[in-house]
Amino acid sequence: MNTISSRTTASGMTSLRSIPSLDRLGSVLALLIGVALLAAPFITYRANRIVAGEGRMLADALPSKPAVAVIAVVLAIAFCAAFVRKPLVRLGAAALGLAAILPAAGWSASFVTPDGNAFARVSPSTGFWLLALAFALLAADALARLRLGPWARLLALAVAAGAVALLLASGAWDDLSLLKEYANRADSFWREARRHLWLALGSMAAACLVGLPLGILGHRIRAMRIAVLQGLTIVQTIPSIALFGILIAPLGFLAAQVPLAAALGIHGIGAAPAFIALFLYSLLPVVANTVTGLDQVPAAVIDAARGMGLSRRQRLVQVELPLAFPVILAGIRIALVQNLGLATIAALIGGGGFGTFVFQGIGQTAIDLVLLGAIPTVALSFAAAIVLDAIIDLTQRGAHDRH
Amino acid sequence: MRAQAVLLRAAALLLLVAFVARPQLFAFAFEPLTANNASAIYDQGSLLALTLSHLRTVFLATLASSVLAVTLGVFVTRPFGQEFLPLSRSLVNIGQTFPPVAVLAIAVPLVGFGEKPTFIALFLYGLLPIFENTLTGLADVEPQTLEAAKGMGMNARQRLIQVELPLALPVILAGIRLSVIISLGTATIGSTVAAKGLGEVIIAGLQSNNVAFILQGGLVVALLAVLIHGGLAAVERAVARRLGRPAGAATSQPS
Amino acid sequence: MIDIEHLTKRYGATTVVDDVSFRVEEGTVAVVVGTSGAGKSTLLRMINRLVEPSAGRVLIDGKDTMTIPEDELRHRIGYVIQGYGLFPHRTVAQNIATVPRLLGWDRRRIAARVEELLDLFQLDAAEFATKFPHQLSGGQQQRVGVARALAAKPAVLLMDEPFGALDPVIRGKAQDDLRAIQKRLGTTIMLVTHDMNEAFHLGDRIAVMDRARLLQYASPADILTHPAEAFVEELVGTTERPFRLLSLTTVQDALEPGSAEGQPVPLSASLRDALSQLIWLGRQALPVTDSSGAPVGRISVDRILRHGRADP
Ligand SMILES: Nc1ncnc2c1ncn2[C@@H]1O[C@H](COP(=O)(O)OP(=O)(O)OP(=O)(O)O)[C@@H](O)[C@H]1O
Ligand SMILES: [Mg+2]
Repeated sequence: MNTISSRTTASGMTSLRSIPSLDRLGSVLALLIGVALLAAPFITYRANRIVAGEGRMLADALPSKPAVAVIAVVLAIAFCAAFVRKPLVRLGAAALGLAAILPAAGWSASFVTPDGNAFARVSPSTGFWLLALAFALLAADALARLRLGPWARLLALAVAAGAVALLLASGAWDDLSLLKEYANRADSFWREARRHLWLALGSMAAACLVGLPLGILGHRIRAMRIAVLQGLTIVQTIPSIALFGILIAPLGFLAAQVPLAAALGIHGIGAAPAFIALFLYSLLPVVANTVTGLDQVPAAVIDAARGMGLSRRQRLVQVELPLAFPVILAGIRIALVQNLGLATIAALIGGGGFGTFVFQGIGQTAIDLVLLGAIPTVALSFAAAIVLDAIIDLTQRGAHDRH
Repeated sequence: MRAQAVLLRAAALLLLVAFVARPQLFAFAFEPLTANNASAIYDQGSLLALTLSHLRTVFLATLASSVLAVTLGVFVTRPFGQEFLPLSRSLVNIGQTFPPVAVLAIAVPLVGFGEKPTFIALFLYGLLPIFENTLTGLADVEPQTLEAAKGMGMNARQRLIQVELPLALPVILAGIRLSVIISLGTATIGSTVAAKGLGEVIIAGLQSNNVAFILQGGLVVALLAVLIHGGLAAVERAVARRLGRPAGAATSQPS
Repeated sequence: MIDIEHLTKRYGATTVVDDVSFRVEEGTVAVVVGTSGAGKSTLLRMINRLVEPSAGRVLIDGKDTMTIPEDELRHRIGYVIQGYGLFPHRTVAQNIATVPRLLGWDRRRIAARVEELLDLFQLDAAEFATKFPHQLSGGQQQRVGVARALAAKPAVLLMDEPFGALDPVIRGKAQDDLRAIQKRLGTTIMLVTHDMNEAFHLGDRIAVMDRARLLQYASPADILTHPAEAFVEELVGTTERPFRLLSLTTVQDALEPGSAEGQPVPLSASLRDALSQLIWLGRQALPVTDSSGAPVGRISVDRILRHGRADP
């Protein structure tokens, strides 16, 4: 009895495997697409910014012919997700899906908004987000299975960024509430964007300037390495807002006591504590990875360099640092992605950045405003991660080639 | 050296408990920071109640994320869930480029103010490190150990419960530690969406320009995070030592 | 007793075990040798069904293994692999108790069995029972691995390069210990190895495999004197052949009546050891004594050399 059951399961498994028709993940995504299409509103229409909205299904959000076309495309992709296993086809399908629903959302906004009504707000709704999520997941799965090389990943990122830029520039989305929020504060948007980048990149650059020498010293002097790394680990565990708070007191004191500091723009509240906190946070990945990278340089290589008469300095610059470079870059990647996200919180202490919109939006329960801050932040971190991962891959490959 | 560290921790814990329970005793230290006779110690609520509520949110959210993340991690590493493995790996990578505050911010318009969006953000974001570490921990189990377990006639469930999960435990614990630390920070920001927590003290300080509040809120949260981190890391080390392995080297990510 | 009948394993188009049949008699040791990738491990793993055969069957004590549920089958078959796969999170005692616990033995019985095995493998229970695997030396880990495999008194023990991770000195001792324990318990063992010395030292029978096929299954002496194919001859090592043959035979088999001068050789010594002593002492013959020390005859260089020839 027992044997029979165990045998049937074994053969059952193999037969499932051998029929390549139904993809489990794809079926789940197809289901998600079905729900998004049939049971969730595609967009939300509000008479003005404050009032509650009403949902519109995709069929009612566009003129009938295009609506049918978009629905047909979406269904075809659901089918493809469930039955086609070739990653390249699935990636194409996902891209097609996004290329269908993204402009459709913009178009439906123009279609639904009564002519000349400047107060009406149309925003993408659950259905749109679920569809976008399903297509993004399909694309992510296909990309994961394709195992693209670094150049291909960069190219994919460039294509995606180009497509989004084109979409925005074409004005197809101008009637969506997100872009209306943007149009209302285009100036402050770019100001905060610059501030955000300055906070994140500036603090990271400072961390590199300090962290690299610190890492090199830490690599050579054991006692120092332990003290520095332990100290930085403790800093790392302190939540950002708390660290901002702890820095505000001494900086405020400094500004009050030293007029020069105040003149340089150092205040208790504002960008200074945020900058310093982000700098401190970035130090750990940079220092730790510099130490690790240098530790990993094979002793034989250093011996050989010494045997060829390279001085300590030459060894460091010509041998050790180049070999440790990919690991150091990995530290920089961690620091950068982390900083781009954390810079959002600077807005809480008056430091500016995209967080300004996020926290304003939270205050007004205005999701469009939240998104105006959150989407660029996420996009920046995401792009930074992809770019740096690709560079790390390329440098690692270079290091292998040279061996 | 070790004894010194333990002593230092104990002293910090004592100080924290004393401050949270009887903050007025420490008023003298914060008075120099106040202006215009503002109060030196947070007086719009009990620090103790805020601390407990903060810890409760973090605890419940971490508990929920741990249960789900470990379950998902087990699911995608079993034969019937393997099709979901590549996607879930890249989702975790992508998810971790999201700042936790973005998750919090997006949850507010969807579910309103209060504990709910905070809990959702902590729960969702907390899944990532635990899930990732569950995958790593399970993948790191020596194939030989599994082969031996199978060869001795353990069935799939017995192998999972008696061998794989215990061996992955230190790495899973490291994931939980990362998750807890991120949650402590995100819960602090949760005060901007009216969740009860220690962020309230800092926010109140920012609103009324009272540096004393900002500093004491910051110190309490920081001390709490550092102590919890140290405590969890000690648990991990103890578990890893039993397995004859160095403790997981996972470092935290600030939030 | 293990009966292997037309056992075959295919992965896609490649056959990694090709129609192998042989029998391992009750209480004997069969050693499987062959080059890397020959299919030895696959063959072994088909016996406890870690690999499902594509064709053919395995009978253990006359019973088709396919009629026994997998897990139950494996509870009854001891299994030792290279590296042992000890559970790092469990103590030595808990490791040894694994299968008895799966079988639901009561605590007292398990404790008694663990103690018995630790004793059998010369591990002091007071010292070792509560240690973790990482606190043991390689040799101790190996003994715990075998003890664990024997815990539920299996009639059959499968071993895949069980000594592969040991240094040569400890390996020799571990082999002797295994042989002694096997004799004492009467376990049927099938052992895979790369090491020809190990094969001749431990095997009652040797199975030679190459590229998925079984080339020869015979006693060590037969393998040496009547290799079935050139490959077998090559594998055995032509220069080592006579010495291997001599180490398979004891003085008893080459005993001559009479007496000789010099230090006596024990009756149970191998001819190889006896020859080594003869050469060292520069003699043509030495006296032989039995286990009580009484003289029973003599052993001569001539007689020994005849035993080392291809056709004695
Ligand atoms: N699961 C599998 N799928 C495909 N091929 C396999 C699988 N397992 C083993 N093989 C192949 O079968 C052949 C025999 O493998 P096996 O492990 O039995 O060799 P072996 O004789 O034990 O070698 P070694 O001495 O190196 O351990 C090898 O060529 C191996 O690549
Ligand atoms: Mg093998």
